[in-house]
Amino acid sequence: MRQDLTSFDGGTALRQRPASAMAWLLMSPLFVWVLAFVVAPTLIMLVYSVCERGTLGGVVFRFTWANYAAVLDPTYLNILVRSVLFSMVTTLACLVMGYPVAFYIGRAPEARRNLLLMLVMIPFWTSFLIRTYAWVTILKSKGLLNSLLLQVGMISQPFEMLYTPGAVILGLVYTFLPFMILPIYTSVEKLDNALVEAAFDLGAGPLRAFSKVIVPMTSPGIAAGILLVFVPALGLYAVNDILGGGKVDMIGNIIENQFKGSARNWPFGAALGMTLVVAFAAALWYTGRRQNRAA
Amino acid sequence: MKRTLFFVALVLAATVASTGHTKQAEPKEINLFAWSEYVPQGVIDGFTAETGIHVNYETFASNEEMLAKLVSGAQKYDLLQPSEYTVEALIKEGRLYPVDWSKVPNFKNIGKEFKNLPHDPEQKYSVPWMAGSVGIVVNSEKVTDPVKGFNDVFQPKYSGRIVVLDDAREIVSWALATVGKGPNDVGPQSLEQVKPILTRWLPMVKVYDSDSPKTALLNGDVDLGVVWSGEAALLYVEDKKFQYVLPAEGAHQFLDSLVIPKDAPNPDGAMAFMNYILRPEISKLISADFPYTNPNLEARKLLSPKELANPASYPPGNPKLSGFLDIGDLAVPIDKLITDLKAKG
Repeated sequence: MRQDLTSFDGGTALRQRPASAMAWLLMSPLFVWVLAFVVAPTLIMLVYSVCERGTLGGVVFRFTWANYAAVLDPTYLNILVRSVLFSMVTTLACLVMGYPVAFYIGRAPEARRNLLLMLVMIPFWTSFLIRTYAWVTILKSKGLLNSLLLQVGMISQPFEMLYTPGAVILGLVYTFLPFMILPIYTSVEKLDNALVEAAFDLGAGPLRAFSKVIVPMTSPGIAAGILLVFVPALGLYAVNDILGGGKVDMIGNIIENQFKGSARNWPFGAALGMTLVVAFAAALWYTGRRQNRAA
Repeated sequence: MKRTLFFVALVLAATVASTGHTKQAEPKEINLFAWSEYVPQGVIDGFTAETGIHVNYETFASNEEMLAKLVSGAQKYDLLQPSEYTVEALIKEGRLYPVDWSKVPNFKNIGKEFKNLPHDPEQKYSVPWMAGSVGIVVNSEKVTDPVKGFNDVFQPKYSGRIVVLDDAREIVSWALATVGKGPNDVGPQSLEQVKPILTRWLPMVKVYDSDSPKTALLNGDVDLGVVWSGEAALLYVEDKKFQYVLPAEGAHQFLDSLVIPKDAPNPDGAMAFMNYILRPEISKLISADFPYTNPNLEARKLLSPKELANPASYPPGNPKLSGFLDIGDLAVPIDKLITDLKAKG
C-alpha cells in the first residue's frame, strides 16, 4: 500500500528526472549572483576576521584569534544582547500590528485589495532616510506631536520623545511593518475559506478557528515576516543614530564604527559580522530542524 | 536544443555588450574625493570652465571612510581632502605624491601659522583647505550662567540638554584637556586618568551626532553642544543667541588639506586645481558657503566685516589650540572605552 502511494507521487518522479542543460542555464544567473554577492563576501569577511588591523584601515594578513576574543568581551556581548532584544520587540510589535492589517487586506474584495496594497507600498517611494528624518520633525520637543498634545491640553509640558529608546523602537517598527504585512498577506490570500467554514461547522469558536486553523495555515507567511523583520532590524543602525541620538550603541553601530569610525579596526568589525552570521545560521538550522520534526 | 543555443547566444551577446561599455580613459578629468558639503559647486564649475578639466566630485563623511575606499583601490583618485592626522598617516605609509610647488605658486597666500605643521613638517604634500576648531555652543537664551570650558558644560544641571560629536577620540581629548593634557597624550595611563571624568560626563549627554549636531540645537531639543566650529558658525548666522566659546582648557584645531595620492592618474590636473582654489577670489567663495577658518590670508582680506566678525570662524583672543597626530593602534582602546561608557550610561 505504502509503495503504491510513493509510485504515484508525482513529486518523486520529478525529483528523479535529471535537470536539463536548459534548466542549469536558467539557474546560472542565480548561482552567479549567490556566489558573487553572498558566498564571496562571507569568505572575505571570514578571512579578514582572523587577520590583524592595518594602519590605514584594511587588514594585515597575519593570523590571530584576538578579534574573536574581543567579541566575547562583556561590553560587546551586552550590546549584542540588547540589540537582539530591540529586534525581538520590533518583530513582535510588527507581528501584532501587521497581522490584522494583512488579514484584512487579504480578505478584502479584489478591487479594494489592490488599493490597500498600494497604500502599504507607497512609503517605499520615498527614501528611508527622509522618512526617518520626518519622524524627527514629528517627535522633537517643539514638534508636531508635542504641539498637538499641548494644544488639546493633554500635557502641560513638552513630552520627551525624540532621542529615547522608545523612539528607536517606533522608527524600527515603522520601517519594517510592510515587510511583515506583505508575506502574511500572500499567505492569507491563499487561505481556503472552506477550511475556516469547516472549523466553524465542526463547533470551533472564533478563537479556536483562528488559533487551530487560520494561524497554522498562514504560518509560512508569519515565519517569512518574522525573518524579514528580525534580521535587518538587528543590523540597522541609522534609525538608532537619527531617532535615538546615538546614545546607546546597537551592534550595527559598533560594526559601522570599526570601518567608518575612528577605531579603523576592520578585522574586529569582520569578527563581529561573522558572529552574527553564525548566530543566524544556527537559529535558522534549529528552527528548520524543529519544523521538520513537527511535520 | 535550438532554444538552448538561442539562450547561449543571448548570454554571450550580453557579455560582449557589457565589455564594450567599459569607460574610455578621459585625459582631461580629475577625481576629487572630499568631505560632503565642503566644496562649492560654483568653484568646481569655474575650474572646469577655465581649464576644460572635468571634476568628478565624490564625497565621504569621515577620514576613515575615505581611507577605506582608498585602501580598497577600487577607484583611483587625484585629490583627497584628509584632516591633519590622516595626512600624517598617509605620509607615514608613503601613499602621497609630493607637490611640485612651482606648479602651485598661489601657495604663498597661505598664512605661515598653517605651514610646516607637525603632520607635514617639511610641507611637501599638503595644501591647507580650511581650518576649524571643536568648541562649545551655548543657547544664551536658555543658559544664562557663564560657560567658559568643558567643566562648565558637563554639570548635572545641564544633564539631558547636551549634544556632542559622536567621535570617541574627540570626546576623550576634551577630558584630557581638563586635566591639562594635550589631545595626543592618549596612552593607557592617560585613559585611566580620564575614565572617571568621562563616566561622570557621558550620562549627561542627550545626543551624539557628528554629521549635523546643529539640528538638535536648532530644534531646541538641547541647549549646549560641543561641535565643529563650522556648525557653530552656521548656527550663529541663523540666530545670534547661539554663542561659540573656545574651551578655556584648550581645544582641537583641525586642518583639512588637499593631497595627491601616489597613484593619481592626473597629478598635473590635481595641482592645477590646488592652484585654482588658492586664488583669493576663489577661496573667498569657499568661505562664503562654508564659514570655517580660511588659512588663505589674501582671501581673508576679501571677506566682509560680518564674515570676519563671526566668532566661530575667527575666534577672538589667543585660544589654546592643538592639532591631532596619528595615534595608530591607540585608537582601538579609545573606541572601546567610549563604547563601554556609553553602554553603561
